[in-house]
Order: sequence, then C-alpha cells, then structure tokens
Amino acid sequence: MPEKTISRRTLLKGMTVGAGVLALAGCTAPVAPGPAAPAGDAAAPAQEAVTILFWSSFTGKNGETETELVKRFNESQSDVVIDYQFQGSYEETAQKVTAALQAGTAPDISLLSDVWWFKFYLNQTLLPLDDLLNAQGVDVNDYQDSLINEGVRQGVHYWIPFARSTPLFYYNKEKWAAAGLPDRGPETWDEFMEWAPNLLEMEGEEMKTAAFTHPDGASYIAWLFQPVTWQWGGKYSDPDFTMHMTDELTVAAGQFYKDTVHTYKWARPSKDVQADFIGGLTAAAMMSTGSMGGIKANATFEFGTAFLPKKEYFGCCTGGAGLAILSRTPAEKQAPAMQYIAYASSPESTAFWSQNTGYMPVRKSALDLPEMQTYFETYPQFKTAVDQLPLTQPQDSARVFVPNGDQIIGKGLERITVQAEEVAAVFAEVQATLESEAQPVVEALRAIEG
Amino acid sequence: MASTTNLAAETKPAPIKTNKPTTTHWVGQQRSLIGRVAAYLGLVLCVLLIGLPVYWMISGAFKTPQEIYSVPPTWIPTQPTLASFPKAWNSAPFGRYYINSFVVTLFGSGFEVFFAVTSAYAFAFLRFPGKRYIFLLLLAALMVPVQVTILPNYLTVARLSWINTYQGIIIPGASVAYGAFLLRQYYRTLPTEIMDAARVDGAGHIRTLVSVVTPLAKPAIVSFALLSIVAKWNEFLWPLIVTNTKEMRVLPIGIYWLMVEEGTIDWGVVMAGTIFVVLPVLIVFLYAQRYIVDGIAAGAVKG
Repeated sequence: MPEKTISRRTLLKGMTVGAGVLALAGCTAPVAPGPAAPAGDAAAPAQEAVTILFWSSFTGKNGETETELVKRFNESQSDVVIDYQFQGSYEETAQKVTAALQAGTAPDISLLSDVWWFKFYLNQTLLPLDDLLNAQGVDVNDYQDSLINEGVRQGVHYWIPFARSTPLFYYNKEKWAAAGLPDRGPETWDEFMEWAPNLLEMEGEEMKTAAFTHPDGASYIAWLFQPVTWQWGGKYSDPDFTMHMTDELTVAAGQFYKDTVHTYKWARPSKDVQADFIGGLTAAAMMSTGSMGGIKANATFEFGTAFLPKKEYFGCCTGGAGLAILSRTPAEKQAPAMQYIAYASSPESTAFWSQNTGYMPVRKSALDLPEMQTYFETYPQFKTAVDQLPLTQPQDSARVFVPNGDQIIGKGLERITVQAEEVAAVFAEVQATLESEAQPVVEALRAIEG
Repeated sequence: MASTTNLAAETKPAPIKTNKPTTTHWVGQQRSLIGRVAAYLGLVLCVLLIGLPVYWMISGAFKTPQEIYSVPPTWIPTQPTLASFPKAWNSAPFGRYYINSFVVTLFGSGFEVFFAVTSAYAFAFLRFPGKRYIFLLLLAALMVPVQVTILPNYLTVARLSWINTYQGIIIPGASVAYGAFLLRQYYRTLPTEIMDAARVDGAGHIRTLVSVVTPLAKPAIVSFALLSIVAKWNEFLWPLIVTNTKEMRVLPIGIYWLMVEEGTIDWGVVMAGTIFVVLPVLIVFLYAQRYIVDGIAAGAVKG
C-alpha cells in the first residue's frame, strides 16, 4: 500500500495539483474493519442502505483526510452510507448540535472535543455505547487506556477516541547544536534551567531568540500547563470537582511559569507559539502533537521531539476530540452509526488518520502494523509522541468538565505570564470562579449519577 | 483607489455621510494651510492603517509557506509563486460557493433594499395611527444584537423545514430595521416642495416613490445597498448554522475550511482564498461608486 508511506510533505505537494487525495483514493483498495468484507458492486444489497448523518469539525488537510476516511468506509460496504457534514470549529459544532437537538435536526454521530462531550453527557443526550461496541466486536482494551477511559462515566463508554493529541516537547536542533547541547530533550526542568541561558539570544536589551515560549491567553495554555501542575505534584482539581488551584504545589508550578518569563527571563509569552518556533524565535516549546505536520512542512531547520521534562514526577495529558452517538438516534440507526465509529477508530484507519494528520493512533495494535513501523523509521519525531502516549492521563475536571473552565484557567495563566501578577492571588481568584461555575455541574451530576 | 480599497475590504464600513456635500464644500473654502496639511496627514494615516493589511493579504498570497513563516518578515515576496491559488481553489468547491454567495447576496440584498425603500417611505411621508410607536418599535429592533436572534431564528427555520435551503439563509435577513431607519432619515431631508409638486401633478404614492423619491435619494439608497451587499457577502455565522452540506455553503465558510484547528495554517492558501472573496465586492464597489458621486452632485445642484 503505497499511500501509507507517503510523507506529509509529499502529500501536500500532491494537493497542489488538487488531485492528490482523489488520486490516492483511486489506487487504493478500501480497508475494511473486522468482518465487513469489501462488497463488490455485483453483490447489490437486498434492502436500501441506511444513511447516517455525521457532523465534524476538521478543516484543511485534516478535513480532506477525514473525507477520505468516510469515502473509504462508504465504498467498503453497501449497508451504511455516512453523510459527512462539516460544521465549523469544535465550539461551533457543539453549539450547533445543541441548537439542532432542540430543533430536532441533530445528527446521528457527532465529533465532540474534550471540553464539550461532557456537557452533552450531563444533558443526557449521549447514547451509552457498550452494547453497540460489543455487537460490533470492538475490543475496548485495544484502545490506549488513557484515551478510552476519558470517555467513561460509571463504567459506561460514551465517547470514543478519534482525533486525540497530547502535548510534546519540540526543540530546534540547529540552536541545540549551536549551544553545544546533546541532541535530546531535557530530562528534567532543572536540566533545562541549566541549558536555557545558552539557548537565549539577545540583541542588546531585546530578546531575539527565547529559550522557551508560552502561548498567551489562547485556549491552549491551560491545556499545556496541565501537565506542568502534575510534574510539580499539584493539579487543577479532583474528579469530584474539589479544586486544587491554591494548593502549594500547583502554585509552585505557576510560580515556575512566571519565573521563566519575569525572573530567569529566558521565556516569553507569544500569540502564536508555532509560528515563533518555525520562524526560529524560540529554541524550544511545548506544543500539540497535532502541530508536528505543519512544523515539518514549514520549518527550514531540523527539529527534534522529546517527552515533557520532569520535575518531581512525569506528567502529560491528553486532548483532542472523539466520536459520540446522540441519544435521539433511532434504534435502527444506532448499530450502523457504531459501525462507522468502529471503522474510523480501527487500527488500520487510525494508522492512516494519524500519519496524515499528526493525531495519535488511538489503538495499541495499530503500532504493530507494518505501515506504522515503516512510518516510525522515516519519522522518529512522531515515534517519540507515540511512545509517550501510554504515560499520559486524562485531564482534570476543572478544565474539561467545568463550563468555560479552559478559559478561566487560561486567562489566569495569562495574567501570570504576561502581566506578572502574584501567582497565589490569581490562582485564588481562579479557584473561586471555578468553584462557582462547577456548582451547577456538580448538582446535575448528582441527579444523574447519584 | 485607496479609499475604494478600504471600503470594499472592510466588513463593516463606517456609516456613510449622505447629506453633507454643501457643508464640506464650505469648510473647504475656509480651511487654513495647517488644517489642510493635518487633513492630508490624517488621510495618509488612514490609508496606511487600512491599506497595509490589504497589502499584506495580497503579498501573502504570492509567498511560499517557508517565506511566510520566515523571520524577519519580507515585504515583497522574494520568490513569488502562484501555487497558492490553485491549491486554495481545489481545497473546497469554490465554484459552487461563488454561485451560492451570488444567489444569497442578490436576493438577500434585493429584499433588504426593497423593504428599506418602501418602509422608509411609509415612515417619512404617510400618515397612519400609531406611527410614532411603530417607529419606536423599529428603533428597538435596531438595538437587538444579531447573536440573540440566532437561536430563535434557527428553531423557526427548522420548523419550516428550511434548513439547508436558500430561503433558510435569505429570509431571516430579508428585512432589517437599519435600512428603513437610515433611508427614512434621508427622505425627511428631501424638499417638501417637490413632493407637493408631484402631488399637484396627480402622482400617487407609488408614482411619487418610484419617480420622485427614489431618484432623489439615489446616493443614500446606493450606499445602503452597498453596505447590505458587503454584509451579506461576508456573512459567516448564519449561513454556517443554517446549512449542513458542502453544496449549500458560501464563500466565507470556504475560507474557514482552509484554516486548521490544531496545527500549522498554510497562510498563503488562506490569503489566496480571501482574494477570491474580496475581488467581486471590489468590482461591485468600483462600479457603484459612480452613482454615489453622481447622486450627490445632482442633489447639490437642486438643493
């Protein structure tokens, strides 16, 4: 299968003539999951195919890859037709699903991001998936544990991992070499503290190249800071919504972020960390694994990736989006809907999807596939991300389950890194806001889960 | 040229000054040299403020991805390339989006202007009970933010089974209080003598509206039509919400499709796509601008 080894860069080139994806589709036999064998046109179905409405959020390259995945599924069998519809960003999709549920125009399957699916669970609009998973013969234990477990409430699966990413440490190998550092990421933050002054490049009073860069305000800072709290031994919150923003160790982690900018002065906040990294304005940064493809395509230097640095502990969280079936889906459409979800997250599909997008392969057995092994050899930076995956854990409830929690924490972090405000005071405010915002969630949860 | 670029590129142009030709003329006569220099400086500043992003968009469309991300940024593309244009065009069905945008803008703005012209006439020249209160209601409608009406509109449209249809996109925005208000204010400045003359000659309301008021108010109507066209053409949220399939989407959603949620955006392609969107509006504006100027001149002679 030639398309499995195709690199992102080559594929991008292929798309310039606009026929890349189509050409690929033309020369590929559809991959079928499990028992559903590719049915030829000759074997026409007796009954009419079921149409499943599927809403999703991917644009650009990722959107084209998902379109291709749906196309392969539709061609692989003749019982189910997936009607794939793009609905805007994660936020817009979720809001539209909310409105559509009221209007009775909701889809059967929807892509929901890590911070949104829980809201639909709370409103009891998601279908429990275990029976359907069993009926499709899907082995839930084959999914990466940290990914599948994030969508489980009281032992029931509601949210199946699909486009999942994690934070990763990226470094510019040229700047590493110029500073005389070994070609690897720092084991610990303490080690990076020693390295950072050598990586820093000043032009008079002005910082030309930062050793490290934090995102500013944009939603990802609360996501990227999540593992740092764990590395220090702190956390945002417990699963039962007890907030821990003001814990000594969480504040210490926040203090570290502040110090990197305002005391050690080798890091700075930036509007676009990725653009800074590609432009050589920062020697290293934590970014999503999903950014790797773009960096690979646009950076003019060699880059390396590494596990996140440790402090007291190792810590790394998951992120991204998964698939869910809405509970209004009529009974006769539930099994076909699950058939697609099983297909989209099958080892073969997840290998195809991850190689073309940079999202993580969600299945353990996908890693043993020959196409994945070859890919690792040509793309060691990606292997690092996959190796780190089993060590990740689901995020704290404060960011993903509290309404707007991501923004509440993110804005607080921005006040620390940009405005150099007192960490303990800011976190105390953040904690108070989180607690009041969490109150209705806790009550709703008590009503549902007892 | 600079001023046309600015209005065409802006999504929400500033309110048009419809009725000030004479006053600016007078001020111009008395303006001192210092005042004139200051005015020109201000003008240059405006052109830079508005023109730079436009220039950045155009130059970005001709750069390679590597050059876009290079630091320091380059003003003029060092290796100009046309590659972004076919790439953008082929990433999404832009041909279809063009048709949809044309249909939605033509009918959307057509209805909006028609309702504005007629309802403003009623408010300005007709006598009917409760007129003042109805006008207050209109003003109140002017104050309601669009975001508030989105969900109710969605539910209504869904109950009418208009989701994913042209009427679903067009009808909720077919009549907007803004136009009626704007034109009513303009109509009231028209000389009553002309109205009276028309009535003496036996013109009814329809005739007065078509043959007297509309030609006199042409600059205001054309300006409002332009605003309406730009707004409909650039509208993103409502068409996104009310349509589901690729076949019903409009141009701004096409640009959105070129962006990437969690990854590196190919800005060259996005800029090329933006040029697709801006170009038709620019042409419409250049064409329609004549009428604004004509109208103002004609009015000045009469007044």
